[in-house]
Amino acid sequence: MQIKRNHIETGIFIAVYLFALYLWTLPFQDNQIPYGEFDAISHWEIADYIAQTDKTFNQLPGFLDFSYGDDNKFRPHTLWYPPPFHTAMAITSSFSGDRMVPIFLTNAIFATSILISLYFMIRKLYGFLPAILSSFILAFSMRDIFPYLWGQWPERFAYAFIPLILYCFYMYYTTYSKEGSKPIYLYMMFLLLAINVLIHPLVFFHSIVGLSILFIFLFIKNKKMPFNIKHIGISLLIFLVLFSIFPYQSGNVIVSFFQGGEDGKSASLSRLFHWGPNPDDFRGSVSADYFSFSKMHGLWTLPFLLIGLAILLIRRDNKDILMLAWLVSLYLILHRDLIGKATFLHRSLSGTAHIFVPITVIGALAIVSFVKLPQTYKSALKYGMAALLVGLALFYNLPAAYSTLNQAYDNPFIRLNPSQIEVSEWLLQNTNENQNVSIIGPPAEILQKVWWMASYSHRTSQFFEGFLKWKIYEENREEIVNYHLLNDYIVVDYSDIGLLQDKAIMEQWQLFEQDNLAKHKLLYNKGSIKVYKYEA
Amino acid sequence: MKLKIENIGFIGIIIIVILAFFYLILGLSGMLAVLAIMLFFMLPAYFILDNFNLEQDEKIVFSFFIGAGIFPSIAYWFGRFIPFKIGIFITFAILIATAFLIKKIKKQ
Repeated sequence: MQIKRNHIETGIFIAVYLFALYLWTLPFQDNQIPYGEFDAISHWEIADYIAQTDKTFNQLPGFLDFSYGDDNKFRPHTLWYPPPFHTAMAITSSFSGDRMVPIFLTNAIFATSILISLYFMIRKLYGFLPAILSSFILAFSMRDIFPYLWGQWPERFAYAFIPLILYCFYMYYTTYSKEGSKPIYLYMMFLLLAINVLIHPLVFFHSIVGLSILFIFLFIKNKKMPFNIKHIGISLLIFLVLFSIFPYQSGNVIVSFFQGGEDGKSASLSRLFHWGPNPDDFRGSVSADYFSFSKMHGLWTLPFLLIGLAILLIRRDNKDILMLAWLVSLYLILHRDLIGKATFLHRSLSGTAHIFVPITVIGALAIVSFVKLPQTYKSALKYGMAALLVGLALFYNLPAAYSTLNQAYDNPFIRLNPSQIEVSEWLLQNTNENQNVSIIGPPAEILQKVWWMASYSHRTSQFFEGFLKWKIYEENREEIVNYHLLNDYIVVDYSDIGLLQDKAIMEQWQLFEQDNLAKHKLLYNKGSIKVYKYEA
Repeated sequence: MKLKIENIGFIGIIIIVILAFFYLILGLSGMLAVLAIMLFFMLPAYFILDNFNLEQDEKIVFSFFIGAGIFPSIAYWFGRFIPFKIGIFITFAILIATAFLIKKIKKQ
């Protein structure tokens, strides 16, 4: 086997990508217990349910229906997302015979696949050096890492399709002529678009806007209109077949698109002069840091980004037009609240680094061309600039990315403890599928644990504390509590209360257990957790 | 008529490195998950794309993204009627057969 330049470049990319995956898998390398916010729970449990039960489903199983029964606006009580993303994770889980690592790893691979698609596209258009640098810097993108950790899993994967979709159209357009063309690129573009909508509809709309802008820009520059009825017919057929493969979920995409449109009407035109949404509009739900350029990208990237943008605007080669179209489309998507489409506006910001980073790299490497030097020195200077970019990314971007990923969900109150996992497995094996489980014990601050226990046990779980404390249950509280508990399995969980070292909470629940549960059947008693069957 | 992969020696080395890496950081289940991605999502899609006039890097990259969408979509529908695990293997067989069929049609 002869070592070729291509092999070396591929080897370097593989090293960069594995390094990125090493970083992105830090949250579950040492602690292989599921973690994440409510979104992460929903994605994990769909995949896990399919893998564990060895079947897929049309109607949502009870524990999913309890939380998400109305999320599909077209056909309630069915999956609200098209299933390929979750089924992919179920396949790896089923093949590996493990409930946690394969699902989280598949998600990490999907979430970082933007490094693959960006490397591929930039290498094709601008060569190896800009491609590998873009991919390397993107590995530390906090705008990608945050939503990945928050649980916006399918969306992360869907973003990786945008450069490929734009590339396919670019290839079809630029190679099109009356004598010959490469329709395979158009077919693949529509295939990727269809998969894109099956993975995450929000990003699909971004892809559509990107394609429209790219077409307009290329048409203005080249005055060429590729139109072949056979190519378009086959492409549309591919798209429609795939789009209709999951009719309930595709119906939900259409219904949701036409329903959601109220929340952006008050957007001011001054927004046009800002790149992203106003952080104040998301106070309490999204960290202000997420909206900060310096905290997410690093201020050091700004001069290179502006130089890169200037280079693209001045040079305007077809490949530059592609990059500009991508950038403009993201700007338009980020300002869609002006036409009343503000749902998940902040989420579109998470696509920023994908286009900012390559423009930054193009700008940095272009500086070398401004200097008048013999070619040998220019090459050395170019690699020097590349080394500088690597150094700056390692110095400014890596530490935040590393510490965020390494410390993510690194707290016993956030992840289930072994006793909670054990009782969840017991519930899965010893109760029927539509059984309601009420969990007593974890305080409201760690309510998330109750949801993870529901997820792990595939059983509906109610957070019990609310029935005792929340104002909405004030009237006839005792009656409500009894009615609520009837025929439930009651999990009394002292495992976290012990860690809290709050005697008052401990005593409150012990008293409750003594007064209300002592007469009922105790089925399980292990590791500070008891399970009762509450019957009349 | 055979389905084949160009540069198989180099690709084989890369695959071994990748699998070893995941075995080291996440153990056997991590390695098997990556193997499943390569085997189920990428391989059948690669063989299908190999029938078209594409460069090898295009075939590899597109096979990942297309395979990750198409394979689970088919397997999901099988899982509605037969055990999911069996559905996975039938999906694999169907996609490999599709690659053969396209090759055969294109040769005629």
